[in-house]
Amino acid sequence: MFRLAWRNLFQNVTQFLLGAGGVALALLLMLALDALLAGSEENLVAYIENSGADIYLAQSGVNNMHMAASAITRSDMQRAGRVEGVLSASPILYTSTSVEVHGSRVLAYIIGYNPDSALGGPRSVIAGTTRVNQNEAIIDEAVARAQDVWLGDRVDIFGETFTVVGITQGLTSIVNSTVFIHISDFERLRPGDAISYALLDTVSGYDTRVVAQAIVDQYPGINALPRAEFSREERQIIRDMSTEVLIIMNFSGFLIGLAVTALTLYTATLNKRQEYGVLKALGAKNRHLYAVVVAQAVLSLGIGFVVAVGIVELLSIILPGVEPGVVVTLTIPGTMRVLGVSLVIGVASALAPAVQIARLDPAQVFRG
Amino acid sequence: MQQTTMVVKNVTRRFGGGATEVVAVKSISMTVNAGEVVLIMGPSGSGKTTLLSMLGGLLKPTEGYISIGKDVLTRLTERKLPGVRLKRIGFVFQDFNLLSALTALDNVALVAQIAGASRREGRKRATALLGQLGMDHRLSFLPEKLSGGEKQRVAIARALINHPDVILADEPTANLDSHHGRETMRLLRDIAKKDGCSVIIVSHDRRIRDIADRVLWLEDGQFKEVQGMAVDPVCGMSVDIATSPAQVTVDGHTFYFCAEGCRDEFLSGMQETIKQISDST
Repeated sequence: MFRLAWRNLFQNVTQFLLGAGGVALALLLMLALDALLAGSEENLVAYIENSGADIYLAQSGVNNMHMAASAITRSDMQRAGRVEGVLSASPILYTSTSVEVHGSRVLAYIIGYNPDSALGGPRSVIAGTTRVNQNEAIIDEAVARAQDVWLGDRVDIFGETFTVVGITQGLTSIVNSTVFIHISDFERLRPGDAISYALLDTVSGYDTRVVAQAIVDQYPGINALPRAEFSREERQIIRDMSTEVLIIMNFSGFLIGLAVTALTLYTATLNKRQEYGVLKALGAKNRHLYAVVVAQAVLSLGIGFVVAVGIVELLSIILPGVEPGVVVTLTIPGTMRVLGVSLVIGVASALAPAVQIARLDPAQVFRG
Repeated sequence: MQQTTMVVKNVTRRFGGGATEVVAVKSISMTVNAGEVVLIMGPSGSGKTTLLSMLGGLLKPTEGYISIGKDVLTRLTERKLPGVRLKRIGFVFQDFNLLSALTALDNVALVAQIAGASRREGRKRATALLGQLGMDHRLSFLPEKLSGGEKQRVAIARALINHPDVILADEPTANLDSHHGRETMRLLRDIAKKDGCSVIIVSHDRRIRDIADRVLWLEDGQFKEVQGMAVDPVCGMSVDIATSPAQVTVDGHTFYFCAEGCRDEFLSGMQETIKQISDST
């Protein structure tokens, strides 16, 4: 029966290409969005994961950076820095605003850091310096390429002009970018005594979870989270924010995939109605014919799925070159989810043809 | 004593009810022996297709009894009928009805596999059978690449693959030229005589009379005596002499027609011939 399904599927190449292409397109919609969000997620947490901090210190109740506002005092940071196991504590100021580049506005996280501190500055600098002085900024490569700016060019932040002295990599997503300035500039332009976060380095051999818990226990006004946990919270916030979009797009993809697969299978079954009738007359049971339909559904979806995965992989190579900041990352959970949806589509789309087959009167073979 | 393969007793099939009721088959009885070739003829609408469908377990009679060997078709449930069709009945159709996406070999092997044979076993049996029917050079051909005669041989191989007791053939020569038609007739006769398989053929083709052991004439849902039959000289249809709607007697010989149209065509053709003869003289 699998052979019959296979041959039936490939008998009409145009019909097969349209069907499998439609399925691939629908699955691509789901896979690409998932990969796009996964890629964005990677870039959005890139600073947290690559800053070198073992523990992030934030205001009590604040567990992440994205869309969050945190304020702690320098004395809180210094006290936390004295907890056993902490090697250093580096302050950063942080806000989300737009950076004006050549008249265009780019949404960015502004991180004010002290180049003399152990941590806080950019790690992935591909051109220029990691150290900024006053009125200097480090921007990301994606923004630099998109806006055609490079070292020595000017950008406006908080209404003031900064000179680009460094270029980072991997800190821009489809949502925004990351720009580093000197902490004193940040304090001057956004006056206040508080700092946003502190990045703690721990002594080798200390368990960061134990150290973070010790800080929280000793200083109830501040929150301390190991890097992995802080990153996880950040990812979760991003996921929570994108869940609805993801659900809508996945649902759209599901419906399109279902419609295309169901229509393809239904038409294929309708075209083979006479032949299925012959098989029933010869003695094939409904389950034999259901097997053909299900095998056709699985084959269509399997081929569509492989094509969709291939296209997304291709996009992950091509897109960043064409549109800096757009990162496409195919994840195993995302791929598995779409595969699961494909199976649901397969089962659902096989229902109508199955009903059609069940109603087939084998006696029709003698009626011509 | 010959073994009886199929028994049909008082089979009736009605369609509809009340004023619109149509009795397609009326209390038909027959027995078919192993190795016997039975030809059922009759005009269009006589109930041949309905009868064939019932004999093949595709349609339940309203009344009556049909059995093949120990299997009483009229008592079997819808769930069990496909199994009987698969193993005890072989079907040969007017339009061959091969699966267009499968090769000749796969068309035959598939039916064996549906009956429970492994793919390997099914293909082995199908290869052997197609070889016996002279199709070993066409095993991997799709139906569209086969001639009508070749298609019918594949269809016959498919009908035989599960060693059925009965083969039901619906107009098996209708879509074939005379050569392939004769070839198919010979094949069906050989199958009956060598394999002991009963062959029931429904056809308008008078040539099949030559290979049939018995000819049954079905008209208005009932069998009639075939001795009282004549052939319409225009359309070639068999016509019941007693109920023929038109006759013409020429030089003491009476011609019987299935319809007045055929008679008129016959007469105008005759007049044309007479005119041509008189013109030439």
